[in-house]
Amino acid sequence: MGGQNPSRRFRGVGDLKLAARQVYYEQLNFWLNPIGAVFTVGFSVVFLVLVGSTAGHQHSSAIGGALLIGYYVPGFIAYGVMAACFNMLTINLVVRREMGLLKRVRLSPLPTWAMMAAVSVNALIISAVQVVLVLLIGRFGYNVPFPHNLPALVVVLVVGAASFTALGLGVSTLIPNQEAGAPVTSIVFFVLLFLSGLWFPLAANSGLAKFSSYLPVRHMIVAVYDASIAQKGVSSWPWHDLFVMAIWGVGAVLVAARRWSWAPRQARRGRARGFSSFAMKSRHRPA
Amino acid sequence: MPAVSVDHLAKSYQGTEAVRDVAFEVNEGEVFALLGPNGAGKTTIIEILEGFRKRDHGHVVVLGYDPADAATSRQLRERMGVVLQELAVEPFLSVRQALTRNAGYYPNPRSVDEVLELVGLAEKADDRVKSLSGGQQRRLDLGLGIVGNPDLLFLDEPTTGFDPSARRGAWEVVRALTGGGTTVVLTTHYMDEAEALADRVAVINAGRIVAEGAPESLGGRDVGESTIRFRLPAGAASTLPVPATVLNNGVYEIKTDKEIEVLAALTNWALRENVEVVGLTVERLTLEDVYLRLTGFQSDGETSLAIGNM
Repeated sequence: MGGQNPSRRFRGVGDLKLAARQVYYEQLNFWLNPIGAVFTVGFSVVFLVLVGSTAGHQHSSAIGGALLIGYYVPGFIAYGVMAACFNMLTINLVVRREMGLLKRVRLSPLPTWAMMAAVSVNALIISAVQVVLVLLIGRFGYNVPFPHNLPALVVVLVVGAASFTALGLGVSTLIPNQEAGAPVTSIVFFVLLFLSGLWFPLAANSGLAKFSSYLPVRHMIVAVYDASIAQKGVSSWPWHDLFVMAIWGVGAVLVAARRWSWAPRQARRGRARGFSSFAMKSRHRPA
Repeated sequence: MPAVSVDHLAKSYQGTEAVRDVAFEVNEGEVFALLGPNGAGKTTIIEILEGFRKRDHGHVVVLGYDPADAATSRQLRERMGVVLQELAVEPFLSVRQALTRNAGYYPNPRSVDEVLELVGLAEKADDRVKSLSGGQQRRLDLGLGIVGNPDLLFLDEPTTGFDPSARRGAWEVVRALTGGGTTVVLTTHYMDEAEALADRVAVINAGRIVAEGAPESLGGRDVGESTIRFRLPAGAASTLPVPATVLNNGVYEIKTDKEIEVLAALTNWALRENVEVVGLTVERLTLEDVYLRLTGFQSDGETSLAIGNM
């Protein structure tokens, strides 16, 4: 028997090393894919520079007449976390499931928790890279001061990352095939970003703000903003937004637990053809 | 103790019985093939043995473990290797990176260089997985299946989609492994694959084992009737000592289970009468004939169940 502790499923330090090693290969796989890396990490930087350079110097009444760039920096911090933990993770999981990669991992001795931890930590690292890049570009490119309540920002980012990772797990189970994975997820994601006011701040009592307050994306943007920018009469600890995101996260975990599948949902095309040709022959055989 | 032991195994999907009362054993070091058409239940059986799917009924022991027992699933997985039907490797890793990563999952892995040699990917070691040809990717799949140095290897249709030379290459790898004592359970719908690799074959049809045995004796093909075929010059057939059927193309055909006697009579007659017998062949049932009969493709209206009971 190979295991050191056959009676125990968790093997302590050895297993933590195994999970850390898995994170390393997740990172390798991410950074070796130039398109994936550019579309995820590059977008938050490019978007920030684009909107910062065109509209950043304007003042917006929706944020009390403050400069828009002060809104965009927290906005793209929120975007970076959501892009890595939700958009990238969802597409990734659908592709892996349909390719048969999840099945292969399931049949290997790598514990399920180590695999799940590795994909989550991978998304967290990619989020952190974007948060740091956006903060630095904001501070040194556009003179936006560093967040005024750093502990609150860290809590918001951790809760947000956890909730959107859970949403990634949950939504991946709703997407039936590999072809739909990227377009469906990305379109839904960008529509939600638009409705939630990433591109332009929403007036607090507008219809759009009321509508998007039922969805988690709006709360992530507002929570990062409140922790980053001091506002009169507004707490820098956005408990309400954290609460709503956490509810969405818990709901998504329940969906994922109910619907999770390690096997591809869609039969391989070649296999399907093989099966139908067999079925055809069967019909021709005499009874 | 057998490496795999299965008894009264049954599995249904939404009321459809995919596997019905299946029983077999695989001995250590043996290559055992589940042969059958698509949809016969081969993959369901192999997924139950791997612990990927839960059985409804029956008794299954794999390397001493119940594959459905979550408490020991990791121990079982450390001793088994799996090659799936799908190509399942992250495209941006190199061949070596993918193998090194998976080797780290096992307590006692093979060296990555040894695996690269075995599957013939040594020159491709530093290439990205996505740059490999289809056949090379499948060989990498095979490499990932054996990198953990398994006692038991599951091969689910290992060469589906391979070109003939790639298939021969994959067979060589499997033979090299079994030379080292690895037990192999494979599914296939290729007769020649079962014949080339397997010590024992179970033919599955509609969820049941309809025949089981060594490929050379399966379905009684080593004792069943032979087909003797030959051509004769015009007019020579009138004194033929044994009854024969003339086929459309002028070939004479004799089906017999006493081929030695028939051949003796035929050749003696030919020498005595100085008749030139051309293109003489003697054929036994091929594994394919047996398989097609067992899986219900015969044209004489017999049902597969009747054959299954023979």
